[in-house]
Amino acid sequence: MAAAPAERAPLVFTHRENNTERVAALCETAGGLGLKTGMGLADARAMHPSIEVVARDPDANRAMLEGLADWCDRYTPLVAMDEPDGLFLDISGCAHLFGGEKAMLDDCLTRLFHQGFAVSAGLASTPGAAWAAAHHGHEPAIEPGAEAEALAPMPLAALRIPPATREGLHAVGLRCAGAVIAAPRAPLARRFGRDLLVRIDQALGRIDEPVSPRLPVATLSAERSLTEPVTGTEQVEHLAGMLAASLKPALEERGEGARALELALFRVDGAVARIALGTARPLRDPALVRRLFHERLAALESDLDSGFGFELLRLSVLASGPFDSRQSDLGGDNGKVTDSVAGFADRVAARFGSGGIMVPVAVESHIPERAVEYRSFIPDRPANPAKDYDGGEEPGRLLPERPIRLFSNPEPVEAVAEVPEGPPVTFRWRRALHRVAKAEGPERIAPEWWRSENDAVRDYYRIEDEAGRRYWLYRSGLYGTGGETPRWFMHGFFA
Amino acid sequence: MAVTAVAQETLCALRRQIARIEGVPAARLEPPADARRPQPADDGATVILRENGCAASLPEGMRMGAARVMATGIPDFDTLLGGGLPLAALSEIVAADTRDGGAAAGFALALALIAMADTGARDRLLLWIGEAEAFREAGRPYAPGLAATFGLAPRRLLFARARRLADALWIAEEAGRLPALGAVIVEIRGNPHRLDLTATRRLHRRAILAGRPVLLVRQAGMPEPTAAPVRLHVTAASAAERMVLDRPLPGSIGRPAFTITIDKSPTARPGSIAMEWNRDDQRLQSRQPPNPGLVVSPSRQRPGAAPAPRPRLADGRRAG
Repeated sequence: MAAAPAERAPLVFTHRENNTERVAALCETAGGLGLKTGMGLADARAMHPSIEVVARDPDANRAMLEGLADWCDRYTPLVAMDEPDGLFLDISGCAHLFGGEKAMLDDCLTRLFHQGFAVSAGLASTPGAAWAAAHHGHEPAIEPGAEAEALAPMPLAALRIPPATREGLHAVGLRCAGAVIAAPRAPLARRFGRDLLVRIDQALGRIDEPVSPRLPVATLSAERSLTEPVTGTEQVEHLAGMLAASLKPALEERGEGARALELALFRVDGAVARIALGTARPLRDPALVRRLFHERLAALESDLDSGFGFELLRLSVLASGPFDSRQSDLGGDNGKVTDSVAGFADRVAARFGSGGIMVPVAVESHIPERAVEYRSFIPDRPANPAKDYDGGEEPGRLLPERPIRLFSNPEPVEAVAEVPEGPPVTFRWRRALHRVAKAEGPERIAPEWWRSENDAVRDYYRIEDEAGRRYWLYRSGLYGTGGETPRWFMHGFFA
Repeated sequence: MAVTAVAQETLCALRRQIARIEGVPAARLEPPADARRPQPADDGATVILRENGCAASLPEGMRMGAARVMATGIPDFDTLLGGGLPLAALSEIVAADTRDGGAAAGFALALALIAMADTGARDRLLLWIGEAEAFREAGRPYAPGLAATFGLAPRRLLFARARRLADALWIAEEAGRLPALGAVIVEIRGNPHRLDLTATRRLHRRAILAGRPVLLVRQAGMPEPTAAPVRLHVTAASAAERMVLDRPLPGSIGRPAFTITIDKSPTARPGSIAMEWNRDDQRLQSRQPPNPGLVVSPSRQRPGAAPAPRPRLADGRRAG
């Protein structure tokens, strides 16, 4: 695949190989001048001093190919990369949507041509034969069953075999693919290895060759292609709602709701934008889906460039979960997710990314900063009396004194204590000096030895300064153990 | 701070004038006999309710909600506020220093819990929205501490950390529609331009419509004009000593205590009151003066001695 030439100097791309600049790719004009890939740059310059030389950029090449693969998603969800310059499209079961294989191929080639790509395509019932037709064939389409016949006149390279094997076959007089296919298999395998036979079998469809898609294939998806491209956010939202409505029966049939959704927007100029969002509880109501995309699009507004408009939209269900149907009351608005906290959490997450609404979850640890984790919202959290600090509702239990605010990273303070093991008398935190009026403690919290051996023992003090503010300070380490000098840290505020 | 009777009179006249212009019934200067009873909205026939410049009648629920107050449980404080803190309204809680972030958050939580108890929503959720910077500078809310100090189970807590103020305001407004929430705390830092009269007015309106308080906690900020009818200034106060076996334990740190200064209120009465949070009764109470303890030990055998007091538990609760 090479970029179509414009009226300009012959263009060659070079790459470095064994300390020599070599031509990696060239344009048609340069090809017409007798330049070839693989020749040294110095030779090429000597032949044609006017050529324009650009260093090859494999990353940009790959990004371009990925962009194209994204664009090809419109034909089939099974698109695989064939580096460095090819794509495999598994169109089984998709061709009828475009009016047959031939029409689909024509449509694809026409669109790519208008985007400025010179593409050669192959269409066959096996990936190997299609590859051969694309690279070395005269006719793009190979009828099922006619692979051997079509491959016969092609060069050895059409069998996707490494150059060393090719040279070996050439040396024994097998000069085209047909000759290799017709040759007895046992001597071939003995001399050139099993890989050659595997390639032949793959091309002829005797064994299966899996094409591994680059993106996971969605369980369900609905798409809509538009005659007139849309640009406005409201229109995109509206279409997302319509697509969600067409997905709803399929989800109902499966008894599921969507947990993760992706809206793919195919722009007229070939760029594809993908907007993904997750939900706290499985949902299938089109209005809610539309609402979530409304938030997401509002947050993306500046990042989503609609250019000349989107011509194809696809909504895919990337993950689904069992949908618990609820009996609504006669008012009809019972269990409405719009009003529920889960719906709220979804909207916040859709707008600001995951981790919008967080809930504290108790963790089995006595180290204060590890005792609680903040996770994104989970609906219907079961009450867990063993792990929830249900101090207020369980009168018999006495909870340890803990600050209401905790610094995720304890901040160092300079403290002066009367006795080494005692509470501080004054301490300096964030450049301000605090005089201690009252202190309670220490509460000794030992490190979790099963995690790390380097953590020091902490002695926590509840401290009230002269202004009445209450802090949680700790001394890390002990005196007289020969280790590091103990240091003081501020870890939190009490109410 | 002596306000003469004439000045008070002038002030009242001006306030009535403002109330007429704003279309809001003027709050009474005296607390109503029953603070929980909704005030009659047709306080004066001259009050015209306006909406967007046109005379409009507010929905009944909204009018009732706007007038409803929650008594904090401290009579002096409630009197100064004219019966209590407005229940369905935006209330501003300002702490001058980041160091007072603990006291400000504690007082806001106390008010939220009182409001939830007042509306009969003890099992509802509490949403705490904070700017990322506020959480970074004054620490993140710590669930075990909230459970220990306020008896708030972690499953009743929702946190949102917003990267920007605009995000925090969006979440707060979006939360306005949720009936499952009992109170919303919005914590911000300093005096951002975005949080102007319009933004606070939107929050206030959401609070009125939802019938529950939105508490705006401002860390390290200066008082500035907002739409909140009440602004309270919080500083930490020295905690009373812990009661152990019916007598204070010297040198101990007892219940959380705050000094609340009324900066702005419908009654415009200034005042400063020290109070403390009683976790066991889930209410605020005046801070007990330092108890001198028993000076003379009473004789056990004297005639007519009071029955022995029931032993108290270490954290101040009564046994039994």
